Amino acid sequence: MHGVRRARQTQEALEAKRLKDQSKLRDYLALSDDVLARKKQKDWSREALRATTQLLQVNPEFYTIWNYRRHILVNGIFPESTPEQIQDLLKDDLSLTMAALKIHPKVYWIWTHRGWCLNNVPSGPGVDGEGDPRGWEKELWNQELFVVEKLLDADPRNFHAWSYRRVVLASLPVSKPETSELAYTTRKIESNFSNFSAWHQRSKVLSSLWSTGRLDQTKSKEEEFDLVQNAMYTDPRDQSVWIYHRWLIGSEILDREIAVIQSLLEEETHSKWCMESLVHYKRLLLHNHAALVDKSALTRDCIHLLEQLRKVDPGRRARYDEIEITRL
Amino acid sequence: MSHETNPLLIPLHVSYIQNLGKNKNDLIYHLTAHLRMNAIYWGLTALCTMNHREALDRDEMIDYVMSCWDEETGGFGAHPDHDAHILSTLSAIQILVTQDAIGRLDIDRVVKFILSLQQPSGVFAGDSFGEIDTRFSYIAVNALSLLGRLGDLDVEKTVSYIAQCRNFDGGFGSRIGAESHAGQVFVCCAALTILDRLDEIDTPTLSWWLAERQLPNGGLNGRPEKLEDVCYSFWVLASLSMLKKVHYIDSDKLISFILSAQDPEGGGIADRPGDMPDVFHTHFGIAGLSLLGYPGLVDIDPVYCMPAALIETLGLRKGWQSLERRMR
Repeated sequence: MHGVRRARQTQEALEAKRLKDQSKLRDYLALSDDVLARKKQKDWSREALRATTQLLQVNPEFYTIWNYRRHILVNGIFPESTPEQIQDLLKDDLSLTMAALKIHPKVYWIWTHRGWCLNNVPSGPGVDGEGDPRGWEKELWNQELFVVEKLLDADPRNFHAWSYRRVVLASLPVSKPETSELAYTTRKIESNFSNFSAWHQRSKVLSSLWSTGRLDQTKSKEEEFDLVQNAMYTDPRDQSVWIYHRWLIGSEILDREIAVIQSLLEEETHSKWCMESLVHYKRLLLHNHAALVDKSALTRDCIHLLEQLRKVDPGRRARYDEIEITRL
Repeated sequence: MSHETNPLLIPLHVSYIQNLGKNKNDLIYHLTAHLRMNAIYWGLTALCTMNHREALDRDEMIDYVMSCWDEETGGFGAHPDHDAHILSTLSAIQILVTQDAIGRLDIDRVVKFILSLQQPSGVFAGDSFGEIDTRFSYIAVNALSLLGRLGDLDVEKTVSYIAQCRNFDGGFGSRIGAESHAGQVFVCCAALTILDRLDEIDTPTLSWWLAERQLPNGGLNGRPEKLEDVCYSFWVLASLSMLKKVHYIDSDKLISFILSAQDPEGGGIADRPGDMPDVFHTHFGIAGLSLLGYPGLVDIDPVYCMPAALIETLGLRKGWQSLERRMR
């Protein structure tokens, strides 16, 4: 139970509430017993489907009933439905889950059922080369992005919604450019600098845009520093901004210099100073930026370099041994 | 500790937990049936931590747990006739291990159920419908370890998925790309601890992020710029224990905060002061107090969230460190 205030009630008030709840309780138990009995008999009829709707409207956290509902649809109702009818049934379930999410935006099972609906959209409306066979899929997934934005407007930190958003973005039949997701995080951040969920998403999108070269890293980083400094000055107590700042500074200088020395080493294959410096800087990466790097690859590189160093610089091999044994 | 705060009201919390099973005429009791197995585990573990294990009837509890076993899948549901899910399966195993009744279990069938949920990516699903989450990976690792069957697990694949959920802030999310969250940090740290793979954790960065979860009022939040909540007392502290950094937070202030969220009349602990208590926050509040060395409590193992002496007897204790037990 989260955020429900404790009200001290008299014994009489509690008793009165219990009496009032008695008829609700009887109805609920009767409904729940009925649905569970149908489930046991593998009743996959429309009547059973209606009963699950009723029960889930009262208690959308009853995961067993969401499971049963999917079994009814897949085994009982879809096989005797046209693609149009299946599409309509799925739309009904999207409305049902939408209503539930408005009241219970953090219940995992509801989000799961929504995802299932979208993954079961039939081909259509086009058939036999006429019209778009992925038309329905496109319609529902695009609509889903809009739905998730509504839910993030209501609670911009809902991590279920953010997580689901990433699933939607990855599943869109026609993918959106990542620059539009970058713009979305800008809007979220500008409306509230404290929204670390948006800063987090931004770090992921930028990493991808930079690594694929779709955004010029140097120029883009400068813009990021502007944004972050603006936020810092707005509220220096806000930790979202400082955490993002740490990511932004990252390991840029080390990465750049390691690349320069690495290419020099390719020309000067026996250069002790290239190797010694590479070990030093790679160890800095390992120790200070462990979360950003491939630790096992870097460790392997260092071991290989130290092995070469022992050959080209045998007088200091004891030091190289020690680094390998104690400080990698 | 401030003067207005009550000490831990152990007798009151014990009777609060005892009474939870006696509210069968309340609507809310039935609306939360999907959490029953977890609730029994929370209640039992809280009682063990307060040294009152005998407050709930052992045989009745074991019979109830066994009545939730789903013969068909090999897993446990949350309540008789509810579908098997990995969440309730772990709680069932934890209860049976704590009650020294593991002999009642068809271990091979349960292990088979758990292993069947691992996905090609290495992450675990919660049930056959395929919702994935690093919580489920931890549950699988924890359960297999308690059953002495870690040897059946593809460790590399399991670790590899968790490692890919690590973010630049040192924390972990529910899936690849998801924002760091203290609950997910706990499950990932604990899974890696059980598998002896703490090398996948960037300890300095993660301990910094965890230490920043403490707010001026002493409580801990689960993500940057969010509200405090008693349940994070356990998830953050347990993670810090595994990293041997519990001293990074102000323990006096956190103890006061947890104590101030008690219901001094009806018993139980709430998410924050003045709110309605529930068994989930009661358990995690008391578990947090145990890790902070609160006097009179029994040690809890932060990795398995079960009595520490029991985990030690099973030979499963890892190298964590909580605060020393205070005398008063």
